Amino acid sequence: MTFKSLMNSILFTEIAQGLKVTFRHFFKKKLTVQYPHEKLTLADGYRGFIVHRRYDNGQERCVGCDLCEAICPAKAIRVVGDIHPEFPERRYAKEYTLDFTRCIFCGFCVVACPVNALSMTKEFAHSSFTREGLIYPKDKLLALGDRCEDESIAYLKVRNMWDAEDSGKEEGRYHFPPIPTT
Amino acid sequence: MAKVTINGIEVDVDPSMTILKAAEKAGIPVPTFCYHPRMDPAGSCRICAVELEDSKKVVMSCVTPVADGMRVLTESPKIHEARKTNLELLLLHHPLDCPVCDCGGECPLQNMSFAYGATESRFESHRNDEPEDMKSDVLVFNANRCILCGKCVRICDEVQDVHAIGFINRGFDTIIGPPLGKKLDCEFCGDCLEVCPTGAITDHFVRYKYRPWQLEKQQTTCSYCPSGCQMFVETENEAIVRVTSQEGVGPNEGSICVVGRFGFNHVQIPERFDTPYMRSLHRLVPSSWEEVLPEIASGLNAIRKKGVDRIAGLISTRVPMEDAYVFQSFFRKILHSNMIDTGARYSFMNAALPIVAATGTLRPLVDHEDILKAKVILVVGADPVSESNITGLFVKRAARKERSRLYVVDSEAISLSSRAKDHIRVLPGGEQIFLEVLSEEIRQSGNLGAEWISRKEELFKNWNVDPSAYQRLLADLRSCETGIIVAGRKLFQLETPVAGVESLLKITGDLGWIDRPGCGLFVLPEASNDLGVLMMGASHEWLPGLMDSRDPASRGRWEETWGSRLAYGPGGGLEEILKGIDEGKINALISLGENPIGHFPPGSRVREILSKLDMIVSIDMFQNELSDMAHFVLPASSAYERSGHLVSAEGFVQAIKPTMAYWGESLPDWQILDRLSHAMGSPMGVDSAESVMSEILRFLPDLAPSSRNGSHFVGGTGEIRLATPVASADGCAYGEMVHEGNGLSTKFVSPAHKANRESVSSRYAQWREGIKEEPASPYRSIAGEGEFVLELTKSLFHSGKMTLMDSNLKKIQPEGKLRINRQTARKRKIKKGERVSLRTAYGVCSFIVEPSPAVSEFELTFPVHFANAEVLALFAPGLDFSSGTGAPVTHRIRVSLDSQNAN
Repeated sequence: MTFKSLMNSILFTEIAQGLKVTFRHFFKKKLTVQYPHEKLTLADGYRGFIVHRRYDNGQERCVGCDLCEAICPAKAIRVVGDIHPEFPERRYAKEYTLDFTRCIFCGFCVVACPVNALSMTKEFAHSSFTREGLIYPKDKLLALGDRCEDESIAYLKVRNMWDAEDSGKEEGRYHFPPIPTT
Repeated sequence: MAKVTINGIEVDVDPSMTILKAAEKAGIPVPTFCYHPRMDPAGSCRICAVELEDSKKVVMSCVTPVADGMRVLTESPKIHEARKTNLELLLLHHPLDCPVCDCGGECPLQNMSFAYGATESRFESHRNDEPEDMKSDVLVFNANRCILCGKCVRICDEVQDVHAIGFINRGFDTIIGPPLGKKLDCEFCGDCLEVCPTGAITDHFVRYKYRPWQLEKQQTTCSYCPSGCQMFVETENEAIVRVTSQEGVGPNEGSICVVGRFGFNHVQIPERFDTPYMRSLHRLVPSSWEEVLPEIASGLNAIRKKGVDRIAGLISTRVPMEDAYVFQSFFRKILHSNMIDTGARYSFMNAALPIVAATGTLRPLVDHEDILKAKVILVVGADPVSESNITGLFVKRAARKERSRLYVVDSEAISLSSRAKDHIRVLPGGEQIFLEVLSEEIRQSGNLGAEWISRKEELFKNWNVDPSAYQRLLADLRSCETGIIVAGRKLFQLETPVAGVESLLKITGDLGWIDRPGCGLFVLPEASNDLGVLMMGASHEWLPGLMDSRDPASRGRWEETWGSRLAYGPGGGLEEILKGIDEGKINALISLGENPIGHFPPGSRVREILSKLDMIVSIDMFQNELSDMAHFVLPASSAYERSGHLVSAEGFVQAIKPTMAYWGESLPDWQILDRLSHAMGSPMGVDSAESVMSEILRFLPDLAPSSRNGSHFVGGTGEIRLATPVASADGCAYGEMVHEGNGLSTKFVSPAHKANRESVSSRYAQWREGIKEEPASPYRSIAGEGEFVLELTKSLFHSGKMTLMDSNLKKIQPEGKLRINRQTARKRKIKKGERVSLRTAYGVCSFIVEPSPAVSEFELTFPVHFANAEVLALFAPGLDFSSGTGAPVTHRIRVSLDSQNAN
């Protein structure tokens, strides 16, 4: 045993070295967030609860095309299409159910949507005492979408799905029966 | 033969073939939009382009005939570029609304765009923004999605021969639609809907309600008319969404009529019985099988003990063969009764009895293929288009494409009349006189007395027959190589129908048609399984296999087969059943989908007679007059829910398959009867419909399932392929595949479906000897001045009374209208939609009028489906049965017409 190692064992140098990181963090800014009293700022591309969107005139965007149902890997979506009660040339979703107990928040449905009717928000804490409470019908999804409109737009922008919406170009856009402006 | 090399594969083909057909033979798919195997090529879509290796030219394969030594490339950079450019041009005006288009997911244009990657367009153009044509109640035309392949226009012209839609405008403004911007008025067969490669034609009933990838497809046989169409029922979550057909599959070759395609909705409406009902305190109360069956069983057991023939049974002829077989064995074995009858008694029995007597079989000598080959076709007393739509299509095709000489003998102008060489218009009911004269003249073959000829002339004058047309028909019938006579419903409902059918049989025999292949009589039964139910012995005359039920030998044969004694009495049909009930000799009635009350005029005492019964069991789908007075109502499954086999007019034995679960607690008829037999303590031990069929096949092997598939085409438009059907791919094994030549082509060999000419011939000779010749009977039913003959006809848009419950068909034809000759209506100042009342000696009834040029001036027609008690009140009350066939006699009634200005 050398003198150096003797001193090391007397003065607990290794322990001091090991605790250096700990002690350094004593004086740094705290990272722990006191959820639910404090909340983090989430990124725009956060894949939270899925919502339904409306056009500026309040018309719901969903055309009931079933593509989200087709692509959903968890089979969480169910769409029943029908003729729009007011405009017989339009298709709409008579029933639209999203089962958040099954949803894996992959975001495929948002990509599949041809009319940007679906988007994701920063909402994540929708708990319920029953399973049925997490099965969202269309009006609930629309209400959530109205509340989180900015978040849903931000999601589409950051995920590069906003271009077709405001490019104004005819080419490459789906051509649906025109939506009345009133 | 021409030798053609396609992509390096050498094939020998007929020089008249096109490159497309040659490529199909070589097994190379070429994409097409406008090509259709049943129609003449149009060459309008330009997608089937192929390259000729020698001249480096790009040609359209569907319209270019092959030449010897031709070398063809179906895939090359040049072809790829040509097809891609073509797709860009097609997509120029095509809206990109696939997500909301009903065709999205099964669209050849979509598939081709994926395959050729036409994602960007180099051309600048506007998108069309035509509003959809929603005027029709059935079809929606979307001009924007249309690629103008012209398939819909051509199928309407060439296959359906209806000419309801066409190209409107020229150039970029061309759209498809009914002429002059009017509402679509056609047969609504929906074939244009079927062939449309894009979503340009959709229908109102299921518009926007499905996506093709969600649907489950099941091939089954249509159970409305005896054509035996193969159709595909597509369901989602045990509910029928739509019915489609597939090119080349089934005897119908991909066409189905309006009833088959749109009449599926009545099986899924809340009005259907979904649970057994039991009468308690004069009311029907819902119950359960466990409660109902012992009650019925104890009642039947008590009646059974009283003696034979105490319980009567009626069965509809729309049920599969298996159910009819179980029905008759239940009655003969368990209930010891031969008091059974079928729904065919009301009309088809008038033809079935003489035909079986003369030929020994119900299967026809000729089928639709023979109709195409026949040189002369005589349609008498039938409207094939509305009675058996596919037969109508084949007759039309024979007259139009094969240039057969078509003669129509009818009082009114049926839709075939315009294609006929001669339409011999007789006065209402004159068909019979006409046939009797014709058969007599053919029999005598020239040795006619002057007295007979003057009598004929007088008859023809009385019945308005054109003698020169008659002479032409006679000469054609005598000289033709192959000839076919088509007869139907109208002939069986004449006042003495047996005489009419017998004259037809005499004509066939005396012309020597019985022994000549391709010639014969083609009789159209009324319901889908008239032939099958009668072959299964569900009527009192016959045991299964059309054996005489009163003959001890045939009775012994079936006793041996079933291993039990058949202790039934002499039995009887509808006439004896009603008489027996009236006299108290019959105490119970079990009815499988039949309602005798609805067939007789209200004053006929049928209701009163039936109320004398101790027990009525009605096994049905919907409420009717009989179920209202029944003691037990049991829910029956529909043809969309059960399995079984139907015999078509051509003699094919085709399977119906379950497409959805049993509705509520309903059960198929055989299962209800089997459970009942268990509850009665003498079980029949039927396991399944399949076991019944195998039992039938063991003793009647000629009833093996058979079918015919039409022209096939293996094309390739993305993944849409019209492939040659493979035996037992989905369990639909009809016969076997036989490889031909070099193994490239396969042929389908199906068991025989037509009658055996040799056995028919020997039986016919016997029958012909026994028939005595009688001169034409004096027969009068000519309407007097200001009087008309009222005729109940079958409508194209309905089948029986069941389809009145169907919301889709009710939209197409919501109510029965009285059709009157247009000239007469004009003379009497009756306008369309006005109400008139008809008066007979027995009653008055008011109708909405529809003037039509087709009806003769002596006649009024009304669809039989809408003939409720009020309409039947016009007819003579009473229970008149024909002595020969036991069929209720339909009296032609003369009516006088009062126009009514109210409403």
